[in-house]
Amino acid sequence: MTDITITALPAAPLHVFEIWSNPAAVANRFETALGRSLPVLGRALQLPAMRLIRYEPAVWLVEGEATGLAEILGSDGSLTAIGGGLVRVRLRGADWRSLLMEGGVFDAESKTFAPGCSAATVIDHINVRLFVESEDVCLAYVPLSYAHDMIHFWTVAAKALP
Amino acid sequence: MNGPQRGGVAGTIRFSFDGKPLLARPGDTLAAALLANRIGLVARSFKYHRPRGIMAAGVEEPNALVTVGTSGRSEPNTRATDVFVYDGMVARSQNRWPNLSFDVGSVLGLAAKALPAGFYYKTFFGSAKRWMFYEWFIRRAAGLGDAPTAADPDRFSQRAVFCDVLVVGAGPAGLAAALAAAEAGERVILVEQDSVLAPSLVRDPQDLDPAWAEATAARIGELGGRILLRTTAAGYWDDNLITLSQRLAEPGEPPAGGIAQRLWHVRAKRVVLATGALERPLAFAHNDRPGVMLSQAVRTYVRRFGVVPGQRVIIATNNDDAYLTAAALRDAGAEVVAVLETRPAPAGASSGFTVHNDTMPLTTNGARHHLREVSARVDGKIVRWQADLLAMSGGFTPVVHLHMQAGGAALDWDDASQSFLPGAARQNVVSVGAAASVAPVGPTPPPENPAKAFIDFQNDVSLGDVDLAWAEGYRSVEHLKRYTTLGMATDQGKTSNMAALGRLAEKQGVAIPEAGLTTFRPPYTPVTMGLLAGRIERDAGAHLRRLALFDVHQARQPIWQPLGYWQRPRAYPQGAETLAEAALREGRSVRTAVGMTDVSTLAKFEVSGPDAVQLLELVCATTVGKLAVGRGRYTFMLREDGLVFDDGTVWRLAEDRYLLTSSTGGADRMAVHLSYVRQFLCPQFRVSVVNVQEHYAGIAVAGPTAKAVLAGLIGEEVPRHMSAVRASIAGIPVLVLAASYSGERAFEVYAEASLAEPVWNACEAEVTAQGGCLYGMEAMEFLRIEKGHLVVGGEIDGRLTPHDLALDKMLNKAGGYIGAAGLTRPALTAPGRRQLVGLEAIAGTIPEGAMLVTAPGQPADGHVTAAALRVLESGSIALGQLVDGFARHGEELIATSPTRSQSAAVRVVAPHFYDTAGERYRD
Repeated sequence: MTDITITALPAAPLHVFEIWSNPAAVANRFETALGRSLPVLGRALQLPAMRLIRYEPAVWLVEGEATGLAEILGSDGSLTAIGGGLVRVRLRGADWRSLLMEGGVFDAESKTFAPGCSAATVIDHINVRLFVESEDVCLAYVPLSYAHDMIHFWTVAAKALP
Repeated sequence: MNGPQRGGVAGTIRFSFDGKPLLARPGDTLAAALLANRIGLVARSFKYHRPRGIMAAGVEEPNALVTVGTSGRSEPNTRATDVFVYDGMVARSQNRWPNLSFDVGSVLGLAAKALPAGFYYKTFFGSAKRWMFYEWFIRRAAGLGDAPTAADPDRFSQRAVFCDVLVVGAGPAGLAAALAAAEAGERVILVEQDSVLAPSLVRDPQDLDPAWAEATAARIGELGGRILLRTTAAGYWDDNLITLSQRLAEPGEPPAGGIAQRLWHVRAKRVVLATGALERPLAFAHNDRPGVMLSQAVRTYVRRFGVVPGQRVIIATNNDDAYLTAAALRDAGAEVVAVLETRPAPAGASSGFTVHNDTMPLTTNGARHHLREVSARVDGKIVRWQADLLAMSGGFTPVVHLHMQAGGAALDWDDASQSFLPGAARQNVVSVGAAASVAPVGPTPPPENPAKAFIDFQNDVSLGDVDLAWAEGYRSVEHLKRYTTLGMATDQGKTSNMAALGRLAEKQGVAIPEAGLTTFRPPYTPVTMGLLAGRIERDAGAHLRRLALFDVHQARQPIWQPLGYWQRPRAYPQGAETLAEAALREGRSVRTAVGMTDVSTLAKFEVSGPDAVQLLELVCATTVGKLAVGRGRYTFMLREDGLVFDDGTVWRLAEDRYLLTSSTGGADRMAVHLSYVRQFLCPQFRVSVVNVQEHYAGIAVAGPTAKAVLAGLIGEEVPRHMSAVRASIAGIPVLVLAASYSGERAFEVYAEASLAEPVWNACEAEVTAQGGCLYGMEAMEFLRIEKGHLVVGGEIDGRLTPHDLALDKMLNKAGGYIGAAGLTRPALTAPGRRQLVGLEAIAGTIPEGAMLVTAPGQPADGHVTAAALRVLESGSIALGQLVDGFARHGEELIATSPTRSQSAAVRVVAPHFYDTAGERYRD
């Protein structure tokens, strides 16, 4: 019996946080304001009301309360809302790593893909962002237009994992 | 003589072969079960329809190909040695008519002398008409089993896996390698194509206790290793990527877990190939008769399956291994009549069997179903033995296929074993066990009758065919292969290639390695199309993208239309309306009152930052810099070669923030283009480009009363044409852009996709109240064609310049945009270019995609890019590309589509059929 539950979460505020100049100064302002460093590539920062996932070299995905970030960016970057276009899917259970290998290309079974890690990958030709919330929970950020098919794909695949 | 025998308990698994109900024991391969049921004739060969039995016990089997399963699960050309019997299995012989025993096609064997190698090349030539005649016969004769015509009902899985070490083959060497890696703390995957671990130990328990294999596997599992049975490493690709095909259900068997097969994409840091070796047959006359088998295969049937394939046995060998088979047969109660040993005395002297040294079988005799007699020349005299089984061993060929697929630089020749061994490797791969080293062999004398000495059993290629190819001038091994079809059957020459190479080398007067090698191509064993093409679900991997408002549309029962990756409403028919009737009604509503449609799929990018305008002036070929806040403009984009590749609108939402829209179909391409510009051309820009295509759902409201609809919805003054305002509808923040694609006063309303449903409902209620309706893609197409608006993929097909599309007056005169330099090329302004035109039908309906010709039979001067019916008036209109089209207004042409047998007389006109002055846009 496969141990996994697939749940589409309600829409949440999501923003792109992009730095185009003075990255060190922005990082300092961020640390001063929030007491934590900006997460490096492949990692995420979890704060009480906000999660930041490094998306690209100069781009982070911000989930949750983003007010205050525009001030941190100043004239060195911008904040753009994208929450309408992504569906957050929670994969809960011991088999989420195995499930992500189905139609995938990324080593989700690696022990180094531990809680706090993030990744961008393709699953069954759909671009998906991953965040390991805990050993038993992984969050997937799926494009809205593909979310129905992606969830269906996972639901069917979960019934026949090796 | 009694043929194959099996003692002990009766089988309990029911299966059928050619409709005859039979019983098998658990663990039987189909081949073992057929032998146990004393069935010797299993198949017919491809070319001459010669009777064939079971020769091998593994995937190398060239003869016993059958069709297994029924309807959509039917799997042709399945090796009877590589399918395990399950209850209810239906197996059928193939390539025979009317039945296996009496096959009319076997008459071809009588004409074998007239059908030598290269027969096709020598016979089927001449005029094309002749070929049409030949083709009918060739198609009737081609192939073995029939591909199923029903849809495959099963599901297939494709998944990735990563490991430190992949071990291919779970024989003793593979198990040992896997255990060592697992004990070193490495992530290990061990794969075995058989259904049991270490099948060679079941065959030869004297080497190692089979219990060792189970214990070793258990230890590997304890250490976290993964073991996959019924799994074949089918292909070895770059970067240590190996594809595995795993059988979760046997061919034709309904899968218990919902998945029939799984394709694994393995990324391994290191690969260990423990793929073993294949036994080679000996070449002598009529060596293809049922009852002539490979020696190790005979031992496998005796020891693993409890089936003794014959009671009076002749052994023919050039090596020591066959004596183990002789002993196994003797122990099982069979009589070993003689051992024909190619090696001189004292080889075999101490075996306890009657051994004739320096001897090869001369020929065999028998019936269609069984062997009866073997003859050989002993001490210069022909001796005949009554025998129902001939077990032969011509030595062993290491399985180097994966090593070579991995880019193995070379194979090393081992003279003692007369075999190629894995040489240097280009990837991190090593071969172990029998895949790296096999036992020495003695000489293999040439047969006295090469014409009937088969080497490629499946394709009926004999040593005589090799000799003929040589005589006709084919010197290269690659030419030999193609001329004779040797090694080109479904077994890819696993048992034949070495014999052919030996013969070719002999002809060339060189050593075998100098004769050359053919290419080892994946897959190692045949892979079903379902495994490659199938996924969890039939549309998986080719998903249709859903609109954010999909459920809203679905409730209104539209006709859906796949458009690129998207699924969009094509029309909303009422009652018994046809598509065309619904589209015309919807279009007329837009022209006379108001309509609304979903435009969420448009590409949308938010471009922000102090350098946003500079980036846009680079991307857009029109002027953007002077755009005031709250204003928008039509724009188009060029490739670096100066050709138009997309169009859209650009809106200045705030001082340093813009919204760029472009076509649905070109959305992904535009995203890549913008990323290229941002990351590579202008990395210094202080700008952010964010794809917000899916963030916003879009609703277009168009028509003479659209302004009243919007005013009612937002409760304030609506923006004038090409202006933008932020407002609220149903309490949801929206962005309203006054832009038209229909030719009427129109607005695009954008809301965050997750909040869009109440906005849509409010808009629909207001539109309905104003006497309007929803409209779909079909009506949108009619409207935009009538207005002369362009569509990417239609008029904008990447071959036309702004001038060709009559857009050149809008070009940024200051230049500086991508494509400006390309546009200066003289060829882009030379006469003879295709240009955008309108077409109106003089008679008939203009077929979309039709060629434009001046008269029947003349070459095409252009084509129809999009056709439509006039919305308010009658008549057929179209847009098209026409050579020198601007100068040909008024000319009459024929729009013809020969493939659809449709044509219409058309007149070339300007590409605007409605409100040419653009007055209806404006208040």
